[in-house]
Amino acid sequence: MRKAMVLFASLFVATAWASESGGHGEGSEPSVPDYILHHVADTNDFELEVPLSQPIHLGAIPPLRIGSCEPVMTDHGLVAPTGWPGLMAGCLDLSITKHTVMMWLAALLLLATIFIWSSRDKTKLVPRGTGANLIEMLVLFVRDEMAIKNIGKEDGPRYVPYLLTAFFFILFMNLLGLVPWMATATGNLAVTCGLALCTFFVTQAAGIRSAGLGGYLKHLTGGVHWSLWIIMIPVEILGLISKPFALTMRLFANMLAGHIVLFFLIGLIFILGHPAVAVVSVPFAFAIYLLELFVAFVQAYVFTLLSALFIGMAVATGHHHDDHGHADDHGHGHSELGGSHDHGKAHA
Amino acid sequence: MFLPNVLAASSLVSVQPGLIFWTLVTFVIVFFVLKAKAWGPILQLVEEREKQISAAIESAKRERAEAEKLLADQKTAISEARRQAAEETRRNQQEMEKFREELMAKSRKEAEELKLSARREIDEQKTKAIAEVRAMAVDLAMDVAGKLIGERMDDSKHRALAEQFVKGLPLSGSGNAGVRRSA
Repeated sequence: MRKAMVLFASLFVATAWASESGGHGEGSEPSVPDYILHHVADTNDFELEVPLSQPIHLGAIPPLRIGSCEPVMTDHGLVAPTGWPGLMAGCLDLSITKHTVMMWLAALLLLATIFIWSSRDKTKLVPRGTGANLIEMLVLFVRDEMAIKNIGKEDGPRYVPYLLTAFFFILFMNLLGLVPWMATATGNLAVTCGLALCTFFVTQAAGIRSAGLGGYLKHLTGGVHWSLWIIMIPVEILGLISKPFALTMRLFANMLAGHIVLFFLIGLIFILGHPAVAVVSVPFAFAIYLLELFVAFVQAYVFTLLSALFIGMAVATGHHHDDHGHADDHGHGHSELGGSHDHGKAHA
Repeated sequence: MFLPNVLAASSLVSVQPGLIFWTLVTFVIVFFVLKAKAWGPILQLVEEREKQISAAIESAKRERAEAEKLLADQKTAISEARRQAAEETRRNQQEMEKFREELMAKSRKEAEELKLSARREIDEQKTKAIAEVRAMAVDLAMDVAGKLIGERMDDSKHRALAEQFVKGLPLSGSGNAGVRRSA
C-alpha cells in the first residue's frame, strides 16, 4: 500500500515536472522525470543508455499488426490503430516491445536455469548439488506452504506446476529488471494483467472442476432467492474480477514504484545540480536497490500465495456440498449414540 | 483533478492488448515446457524420496521393535534358565540332604542294632559266665565244705543247699557285701 502511494506520488511529481519542463522547448535536454518515465515506459524503440551521455539508438522492431489495420486519420495525422481502440476496430497490435523482449528473455533464462540446475542423476535419491537443492527447496516450499496449505492435501498437488511456473516466471522478470540495461516486464500493466488472467482462468477452472459447471453457476448466484439474482450475480462477478485486478495492480505498482524511487534518488543529483547530493542519494539508492532485490522475491511470493488462496477458495466452493454430507453423517452418528444411550437407560 | 490527467497522459497505465496476448502465450508455453520437463520430474523425484525415507523410517522402527522383542525374549529365556538352574540346585541340595539323612538314619539304626546285638551277646555271655561262676562257686563251696567237714558232699541234697546259698549271693560287685553279710 505504501508502495502504491509512493508510485502515485512519483507519477504525480514526475508528470508535473515533465509538463513544466515541456515548455522549455524542443532543443533542451530531457528533464529527470521525463527520463525516468521514458525509462520505465514500454516501447518498440530500443536504445542503450550510456552514463553521462545520450543513449545509443539500437533500432526499432517494426510493428506487427493482425486484422484490418488501415491507418486512420487522427489529430496526429495518419496513424495505425493501436491498443484497445484498435482492437475494437478489428486490429490486434502484436508489436514486439521492450517488455515483450524482457519477458521472453526472462522466460529463456528461467528455462535455462531450471534445466541446468535441476539436472541430476535421477536414479539416485540422495540430494546433491546446490542448484538442484535450491530449486527443490523452492519447489517444496510452493508445494507444502502454498498449495497444500491453501488448497488442501487432495487438490493441492494438482495446482503445484501452475503455482511454480507463476512464481519462477514472475521472479525472473522481477530480477531481470534489476540488471542494468534491462527493463522490468512486471512493471507493465499489460504483463501483470496477463499473469493475473492466467490465475483467473485457473481459478475458474478449479471451481468448475470441483463443483461441476452447475455448481459453479449456482455459486455465482450466491445461493439466494432467484428474485435477488439481479443484485447477487453482479456482486459475485465483481468478486471474481476484483481478485485478479488486485493481483494485477499489486505486482505492477510494487515493481514500478521501486524503479521510480531508485531513479529519482539518482536523479536528485541532477535536479539539485550539485555533485555533493550524491553522498546522500547514492547510498539511499543502493539501499533501495537491495530492497528491490528483496521485493522481487516477495512480490513473486505474494502473487503465487494469493493465486493459491484464490484457487483454494474456488476448490472449497465445490467441497461445500460434501461438507454438508459430512455434517449429516455426524448428525446420524449423534442420533445413533442417543439411541444407544436410551437403550442403556431402558435396560437399567 | 490533476491525477486522472496524469494517469491518462502517462503511457505507464495504458494496457496494450498485444502485450497481454504475448504474456498469455509466453506463460502457457513456459508452463507446459516446465511442467513436462522440470516440475513433473522434480516433484516425482521428491515424492519418491519422501516415500523411500518414510519407508526406511518405518522399517527401521519395525526392525528396532523386533530387535527389542528379541532382546526381551532372550532376557526372559536367560532368566528362565537361571531360575531353572537355581531350582535344580535347590532340588539337588534337598535330595542330598534327604539322602544324607537317610544314610544317617540307616547307619544309626545299624549302629543301634549292632549295639543291641552286642548287648545281647554280652548279656548272654554274662548269664553264661554267671552260670559258670555259680556252678564253679557251688563246686568250690562244696569242695571247701567237704574239706571242712571231711566228707565228700556230692549228693544232690548238699548241692541244692549250696546252690541255694549261691543264689542268695548278689550278682554284681555288691556281692562282697552280701558275702560279708552272709559270712
